[in-house]
Amino acid sequence: MELVIALGMNGIVWGLIIALIALGLSIIFGLLDIINIAHGDFFMVGTVMAWFVFETTGNYWLAFAIVPVLGFALGALIEYTVIQPIKNAAALSIVATFGLSIILQEGVRATYGAAPTRLTAPIEGTLPLFGLEYEIYRLFAALVSIAAIGCFFLFLHRTKLGTWMRAVRFDPETATAMGIPARRVYLVTFAIGFAMAALGGVVAGPITTVDFQAGVDVLPFCFMAVIIGGLGNMGGTVAAAVMLAFFEGVMASFTDPTMARIGSLCLMSLVLMVRPHGIFSGATR
Amino acid sequence: MLELNAVHAHYGKVHVLQGASLEVKSGEAVALLGRNGVGKTTALKTIMGLVPATGGEIVFDGRGLTDMPPHAIPRSGIGYVPQGRGIFPSLSVKENLEIGLTKAPPSQVFDYVYDRFPRLKERLRQPGGTLSGGEQQMLAIARCLVMQPSLLILDEPTEGIMPILVQDIRREIKAVNDAGVSILLVEQNIKTALRLCSRIYIMEKGTVVHEAAAEDLKEDKETLHRYLGVAV
Repeated sequence: MELVIALGMNGIVWGLIIALIALGLSIIFGLLDIINIAHGDFFMVGTVMAWFVFETTGNYWLAFAIVPVLGFALGALIEYTVIQPIKNAAALSIVATFGLSIILQEGVRATYGAAPTRLTAPIEGTLPLFGLEYEIYRLFAALVSIAAIGCFFLFLHRTKLGTWMRAVRFDPETATAMGIPARRVYLVTFAIGFAMAALGGVVAGPITTVDFQAGVDVLPFCFMAVIIGGLGNMGGTVAAAVMLAFFEGVMASFTDPTMARIGSLCLMSLVLMVRPHGIFSGATR
Repeated sequence: MLELNAVHAHYGKVHVLQGASLEVKSGEAVALLGRNGVGKTTALKTIMGLVPATGGEIVFDGRGLTDMPPHAIPRSGIGYVPQGRGIFPSLSVKENLEIGLTKAPPSQVFDYVYDRFPRLKERLRQPGGTLSGGEQQMLAIARCLVMQPSLLILDEPTEGIMPILVQDIRREIKAVNDAGVSILLVEQNIKTALRLCSRIYIMEKGTVVHEAAAEDLKEDKETLHRYLGVAV
């Protein structure tokens, strides 16, 4: 029973981190119509940058501040060089971001190396919770993810740029005719998407391993969350990510992780058979 | 104030605007009429930079618009009410109203707008998509007015509006024009155009083929029939 609780809680923590990453995927898809195959690698690059900051400064906390900024800059650069030239071509976006994914993975393998590393959590120790000793860092990771997701929603609904993003997403032409610089909004959106995935990487670094292939596992999970949550429904994406990860965590306590993933894929298929547009489709966007 | 000289525009390989020329003078209300598909909406979109001009020049207040980035054009003093109104349904009425503002306008601007459109003031927090067609049209006009334009371009503002509200919209456009804002109006409803505008251009196959004072056109049954296929 303790194992079920522990893995269930791990699932929720992991789900919140995935939600943070998947929201980035969701805004990039919703606004730019880009199916970003490289999104998992943005997360992976985040973990590697976090490792690098820790290696050079010896202070993991700095990574929380520096890596999202670096991610934002890298995202802006990629939008300008890779995404803008293929705007309005959804099929090309798959090929281009797949290429980008290979470049990022091989770039990391060539520099950082192929051997996975584990990072030590900046907070050690455990806390008694539901009858078991639970790692404090995992609770901290959950809190940071919740705070970041909250800030993202505030940004989207309370700032001018957030309002512009919602307007451009609905109707870029009219938005432009209202004086909104749509191209700049695209650039910032993509950069924010990268920054969120990179922050996810910093948060998850001490929980998972730093590995050039870390994104390969994260990407399908993010897509599942976005699809089950209802395409374009941000709140749905968060809920679906947490639910899926919790389900997989609990499943993994009875069987192995591969079977758990098969289980969640079956769950996704089941959901889509009943509600083809996702659980939360039709809810306010 | 606004001048189009032999403007061309393409949608892909389709040559839509084929050398259209027209002029709107300061304070004037001008209508652009023509049958469906002759390029009226494209002409307006080309002015706004939403469809790039492939030839000719567009000059507004002495400045060429064709080289300007599209988002800078509304900020240079041209308000645009697109066909179908272009309200963002998930944004609140207030967000829709303020979407184009980068800094707060003088408070009397909002006083004026709320005074003219009291229904909008009552519904500021409501999503734009929940407004009726007529209210959305008012909102589309109001969100241009808060940007204090000197020219307002309207693409079929009475299309799909309940007949009872068409009067209201006409009255608002007239009030905007009376306040000194020039108007360029594209309309299928010829009565609205003839009532609001002093000068009329008629388009056919991507170019302006006829220009007349509204007073004269009312009497010119042959022209109305030939280009617009109507009897007024």
